[in-house]
Amino acid sequence: MMPAFTKGNEAIAESAIRAGLRAYFGYPVTPQSELPEYLARRLPERGGVFLQAESEIAAINMVYGAGARVMISTSGPGFSLMQEGLSYLVGAEVPCVVVDMMRGGPGLGNIAPAQGDYFQATKSAGHGDGRLLVLAPWSVQEACDLTRVAFDLADRYRNPVAILGDGLLGQMMEPVVLPAPVEPARDVAWATTGAGSGPARVITSLDLEPEALEARNRRLQEKYRRAQQEVRWEGYRLDDADVAVVAYGISARIARTAVDRARDEGVAAGLVRPITLFPFPSQAVRDVASRVRIVLVTELSAGQMVEDVRLAADGRVPVRFYGRFGGMVSTPPEILDQIEQAASEVRAA
Amino acid sequence: MATALTFKDFAGQKAMWCPGCGDFAVLRALQEACARLALPPHRIVLVSGIGCSGKITSYFSSYGFHVHHGRTLPIATGIALANRDLAVIAAGGDGDGYGIGLNHLIHAIRRDVDLTYVVMDNGVYGNTKGQTSPTTVAGTITPSSPSGAVEEPVHPLRLALAAGITYLAQGVSSDVPQLVRLIAGGIEHRGFALINVLSPCPTYDRLRTYQWWRARLVNLDEEPSYRPDSRELAVEAVSSRDASIVGLVYRAPGRPFQSRLPRFRPSPLASERLAPDGERARRILDARYAV
Repeated sequence: MMPAFTKGNEAIAESAIRAGLRAYFGYPVTPQSELPEYLARRLPERGGVFLQAESEIAAINMVYGAGARVMISTSGPGFSLMQEGLSYLVGAEVPCVVVDMMRGGPGLGNIAPAQGDYFQATKSAGHGDGRLLVLAPWSVQEACDLTRVAFDLADRYRNPVAILGDGLLGQMMEPVVLPAPVEPARDVAWATTGAGSGPARVITSLDLEPEALEARNRRLQEKYRRAQQEVRWEGYRLDDADVAVVAYGISARIARTAVDRARDEGVAAGLVRPITLFPFPSQAVRDVASRVRIVLVTELSAGQMVEDVRLAADGRVPVRFYGRFGGMVSTPPEILDQIEQAASEVRAA
Repeated sequence: MATALTFKDFAGQKAMWCPGCGDFAVLRALQEACARLALPPHRIVLVSGIGCSGKITSYFSSYGFHVHHGRTLPIATGIALANRDLAVIAAGGDGDGYGIGLNHLIHAIRRDVDLTYVVMDNGVYGNTKGQTSPTTVAGTITPSSPSGAVEEPVHPLRLALAAGITYLAQGVSSDVPQLVRLIAGGIEHRGFALINVLSPCPTYDRLRTYQWWRARLVNLDEEPSYRPDSRELAVEAVSSRDASIVGLVYRAPGRPFQSRLPRFRPSPLASERLAPDGERARRILDARYAV
């Protein structure tokens, strides 16, 4: 199949349609507006519903009500507003796909690429004790592929799934092979479909009895344990590595170039790229940390995923961190410099 | 001397809106209005939200507060209730005020908080490059409505009047002198004032240009039979003509939230000495838990 030359935002949108997307609710925010604009054109053609809501708060609650394969997309400021609704979706176990194309923060910040929403995406879906499953693509092709995965995971686990990208991934154009359209077989025994038989279905996240709410929470936690089997990660040049760089998304793209240059200069560097951020590939990081002499984490943030890496490495090796933030993007020479520093640190030891 | 103020005393950073943007006129009118009222910059707090309009706090010299999308009015309310000797002006766009922030507008109106709200209504999301806004006319083609907007627009004047507003005006960016009068009147009004400004977006709205508005607008200020103190006439005007009127639509004696608060003192909270009355607290608690 001929690859299409496509922006990340548009690739996700088209892939969502091909995954059986029926409804999209959202609100314009840079740097992801191409995604809703694409769907505004394409989704109605396919018989789907596109609605630009009056706010992200309204949009996420429309998603809550949709029942069909449904998606919402935003960037940091809107993602914050959606946390309330996401908590309800998680509590009521309603699936959806939410795309966050991260930009510089906090607050209004700016519209340049960043990875500062890692905590918000991976640690808690709004208030309470719920989680999003989080996927982090590093290319337009992978954004396209993981969109399909996201819808399937959302249905399988009846949980919102986040695609965590950044302004660079959303805006950049790359060749992409689009997946063939599918009509998903969905188990919607939970949904209010208007069926006249069987017991009435009530979608709620309310359990006034603590025993019942604890049981609901145990079910959620059991689900997240089961989701461990969905862990995805990729290793690169790790076999004889002394320095393991851990990076996700666009940071991993930059880090891979730096790893290659380090190898050219005789430094045994490799790359661990988490693709699922929740569940986090802790076992993989632990295994790599047992084999290398030092770990370097690099992110477009002041240091967020590094906490999960440190938990996984559990003191086996030193874990260093290098981040750029506020919309600044690190360069391969910067990361190479950090790799060399890490290598000399362990040589001196 | 305060009377010597001119609009230049309120000049902030160089405004970076697109050439021809209606928001330049709103900025100028706001500056002229404050000068006319002899309100020095340090007596004003300007609160703005998100969108092209939200940049106005950078372009206007006063205390400024650039806030979260749609939240200008709750924040302006907080300022007005605490910093009681300042003139509080909120400014934003139609997406900010009539979309994400619409519920706050209704509640600010019913509270009749003493503040002035200027909305730069261009009927389009300019900052995110041209999608529909709450006041986009049905049928308009935009990047988020490629087959034409399906929804009917929000009618801010009708909503405000129905919610019980005590100062309601609409201006247009092509008539700065009238805008100055309307904004100054709103600042002087004791209560909540909404000035909706039809502010063309030459970049993303090819329909509602200055010429387009000029051909349609009726100026209530020049209609001899129109009386802005008549609720009946105001209801008739916004029901039948709504978007095609400019001028002072309605004004009634305000009943500001501030004046209705129990034991409200007009001095700023920050400079108030609120010494805790330990004995009184003790008496209340003792009475509550007395056995």
